[in-house]
Amino acid sequence: MFNSAVLTQVAVDGIGLSAIYILIALGFTLLFGIMRVVNFAHGAFAMLGGYALFYLYGDWGLPYLVAAPLAALVVAAAALVLERFVYRFFYQKMFQSMIGLLGLDMAIMYLAVIAWNAEERSVPPGTEALVEVGDLVFPAQKLIIAAIAAVALLAFYLFTHYTRYGRAMRAAAQDVEIAQAQGVNSSAIYQLAFFIAVFMAALAGGFYAQTYALSPFVGEPQLMIAFVVVILGGMGSIPGVALGGLLLGLANSFLGTFYGSAASTFVTFGAVILLLIFRPWGLLGAKEA
Amino acid sequence: MSKLSTLQRGQLAAQAAPPGGAARPAAVAGTARRWLTHPAVAAVVALALVLLPFTGQDKFVLSVAVTTFITAIAAASLHLIVRTGHVSLGHAAFMGIGAYVSALATMRLNLPFPLAVCLAFLAPAALALLVGPVVLRLTGKYFVLVTFLFGEIVRTVFVNWTEVTGGSNGIFGVPAPSPYFAEPVPFYYLALGFMLVILALIARLFNSEIGRAIEAIRESEPLARCSGVPVLRLKVTIFVLACGLAGIAGALQGHFVRYIDPTSFATDQSLTLVVINVVGGMFTLVGPILGTLFMVLLPEFLRGYVELQHVFFGVVLILVMAFFSGGIADMGQLLRRGGAKGAK
Amino acid sequence: MSSRALSKFKLATGMLCAAAAFAAAAPAGAQETLKIGVIASLSGGGTAWGQGLQRGVQIAADHVNEEGGLKIGGKTYKLEVIAFDDQYNAAQAKTAADRLVNREQVKVIFGPVGSPGALGSLPVTQPAKVLQFVDGYAPSILKNEWKGAYVFRVNNSNLEFSEPIVEWLRKANPQAKKVGMIAPNDATGQVAVPLLADAYKKNGFEVHTEYYERGTKEFTPLLLRMMAQKIDVFELNSNAPGEAGLLIKQARQVGYKGVIIQSGGAGIDELIQIAGPLAKGVLKYDVIDESLPRVKPFITLYHQKYTGLVNGLAPMYYNAASIVFEAMRRADSIDTTRVRDQLERMDDYDSPILGKVAWTGEKEYGVKHQLLHTFLIKEVQDGKGVVKASITPQPQQ
Repeated sequence: MFNSAVLTQVAVDGIGLSAIYILIALGFTLLFGIMRVVNFAHGAFAMLGGYALFYLYGDWGLPYLVAAPLAALVVAAAALVLERFVYRFFYQKMFQSMIGLLGLDMAIMYLAVIAWNAEERSVPPGTEALVEVGDLVFPAQKLIIAAIAAVALLAFYLFTHYTRYGRAMRAAAQDVEIAQAQGVNSSAIYQLAFFIAVFMAALAGGFYAQTYALSPFVGEPQLMIAFVVVILGGMGSIPGVALGGLLLGLANSFLGTFYGSAASTFVTFGAVILLLIFRPWGLLGAKEA
Repeated sequence: MSKLSTLQRGQLAAQAAPPGGAARPAAVAGTARRWLTHPAVAAVVALALVLLPFTGQDKFVLSVAVTTFITAIAAASLHLIVRTGHVSLGHAAFMGIGAYVSALATMRLNLPFPLAVCLAFLAPAALALLVGPVVLRLTGKYFVLVTFLFGEIVRTVFVNWTEVTGGSNGIFGVPAPSPYFAEPVPFYYLALGFMLVILALIARLFNSEIGRAIEAIRESEPLARCSGVPVLRLKVTIFVLACGLAGIAGALQGHFVRYIDPTSFATDQSLTLVVINVVGGMFTLVGPILGTLFMVLLPEFLRGYVELQHVFFGVVLILVMAFFSGGIADMGQLLRRGGAKGAK
Repeated sequence: MSSRALSKFKLATGMLCAAAAFAAAAPAGAQETLKIGVIASLSGGGTAWGQGLQRGVQIAADHVNEEGGLKIGGKTYKLEVIAFDDQYNAAQAKTAADRLVNREQVKVIFGPVGSPGALGSLPVTQPAKVLQFVDGYAPSILKNEWKGAYVFRVNNSNLEFSEPIVEWLRKANPQAKKVGMIAPNDATGQVAVPLLADAYKKNGFEVHTEYYERGTKEFTPLLLRMMAQKIDVFELNSNAPGEAGLLIKQARQVGYKGVIIQSGGAGIDELIQIAGPLAKGVLKYDVIDESLPRVKPFITLYHQKYTGLVNGLAPMYYNAASIVFEAMRRADSIDTTRVRDQLERMDDYDSPILGKVAWTGEKEYGVKHQLLHTFLIKEVQDGKGVVKASITPQPQQ
């Protein structure tokens, strides 16, 4: 089974997985890096993004290139209300945020069940086309996702290093009080960071809904993915997300194909546990005091 | 501080501890809790529970009561860990281990129930002894994550080790502790007895030197270490005790429901225990007791509105974590002070 | 509110209260209520099935009530369905059963769905001689210390349909040699897979199995693994519709071109919705043929009352409830032992959805409380399930 055709397919599949993992984890790490908030409700926003896309694209038939970003925008804008009334109380309080946002996650999830009931739906992909290169076969939709993931990573990096607001965010992440002393409006920065994070989550959720399924409960696996990626790469680190996402995607693809599902799970969990014990700040994260 | 410290005092009147000293409130602010921990209240509640079956309640009420008692034991055991400053999101796994061990001990090895319960205590305790020294070094959020993953691993073992655990289909036909205890009323007293003894034990623990050391650890580990408290050793000891007690709760549940399977001891249940502690109050033993009442009884009132229940729990969690870190147990104090910030 | 509106409101409330008091004091014997219990997973991942079960029973009960109620022993009973959520969990199912049996005093319970719930509730219902109609694969449901005396399974289990389907498949695909199965390692999967694998081996197939954790949605690695074994038939067995749909979609997306069949589950719509056009040609086990005149009334009733796709359990339980109500009529009693005896003898009753009632299970469980019914094999064409074959399994001799 270890021939080059299969290995290529496995690698390509792995990158496809990584792309969606990266998108899911980006917003999560942003919220942690800047506001020290462990966003247990991250999956819920992804799920909402999925439903937004379901209505805008699947139901009302807006063109895909309009529907996808619009869906994410709608969710992010609506979430700003939550920023004001919920998140604000948890900034810089890691432990409280974990449990409190867990509550938010539960509330959103079950409101979704009331609104849309529990049945699983699917959102049609942007394109049904399959790409076939020799023996290699994969859906074109994954190319779209991979492209967007790459663009997002690049955009993030440029934003936080070369624009005013981006640098203000990094300053707030490093030490919010000093940043404020320098004139950074921390609550505006927080709102911006929150908006971007939820936007990314909702966008990822849309892709997830197209690739896999949509139900009020699909936020949970996405949250798990975000967690694992961010632990691997380091909480608060953008390059860490890229690295963690790639590692996880390729590992899942490789281990799953050659050794089955149980092996894949055990190794992933095992690696994460070892990392948490010996190097909890991840591969590229910053060591905390 | 616990409402049962006085019950225990009454039973062990020969104890050296001076009556006044043991009733002194804990270092954490919560003076309004005094009415809950007042000897009279505790005695009345315990008496009421003892007399409950005689008031002609139907089997359903007794059944819910037993579920409450078992959950209270599990929540109180988690409380031990929480008081050292760590929140475990994998506690139900230790309950599960106790449940499986007890079921297998009585069914395959034909051991008598008391012995099975001892094993149900020892097995998870031993596992805790193994992993404790490693994971208890981790701080807040990392500990949560590791315990969560640990819980998942244990569950996966339950699911895959089919020859021993029956896999996803579990073990059916777990016997009652003895033919006498197959009836609802005797089992009620069995569960009640376990709960009272265990709560008394925990309360006594918190009232002792060890309890003060635990508080010191929670408030500031470095400081406690400098003061000579053997921090890691104490945390591991408490962790081992807590997991053992959880095993007992699991065993009771197994012999009560008469069937165990991996889905009964998964993340959902761990989460429920955490919510109970957080919402009820993380700084006092009364907390998990109030939390258990809240979590077990509320669904009974809201049956038929399951989604709303969950939404409600979620909102309560947010509110508690944002404003009343001390949970319900501290409510009285907060109301008195007019909504000022909670204890921590 | 304005003071006039307020006084009107008070008047209306007062009248309502008076009416209520009047109704409550109405002479007894006008119509008694017979409570019917339902335990099902109404929250969490299993909600679709739980709701399907509950709705099926509710529709059957409504139907009876609209026809004037259930006439038994000279009295007319109005049926009231009381449903409790077990969250697909044994301890919760026990509590729900406790409440239904001890507080609500029901004599008949439909559900739970799934073995954990079923096994959690049996220790409460069986000693109390409450009739239970369960949906779960574990053998212990029928083979237990109470000899399955008051519990019935109203849905074909793997044991009933595996071999007939495989035999049919063998005839339709004489060249096929290897079967690949991907299944969840939950309670149903761990029972269903070995059974199905045996059926395949008996019919000359080589079988490869892969298990995954419930909740997995990315199957490409496992599919690649399967394809490397060069399988001709991809068997979806006990996968839930969501996962089955994904497996189909991802299998085709990764280049699998062979036969896909699902020997298990009920209902085909959800699967088609998820897999989309890639579901074309997929073969599936199903229990109702919506085009049949006998089934149409049920579908109409369902859509009148509820929105969304019809979950496969709804017709099954509508059918089961109808059988039970008929058994009560024939026994002319609500005493569960008499009803149970009547049920066992109802071989000539033509149930609304599934047709003639037949019980089996003597060999495997020691008690003939497993419903054996005709089932269908459908093929997906143009986004719909088209009946390809109708199979009536014979009782195991």
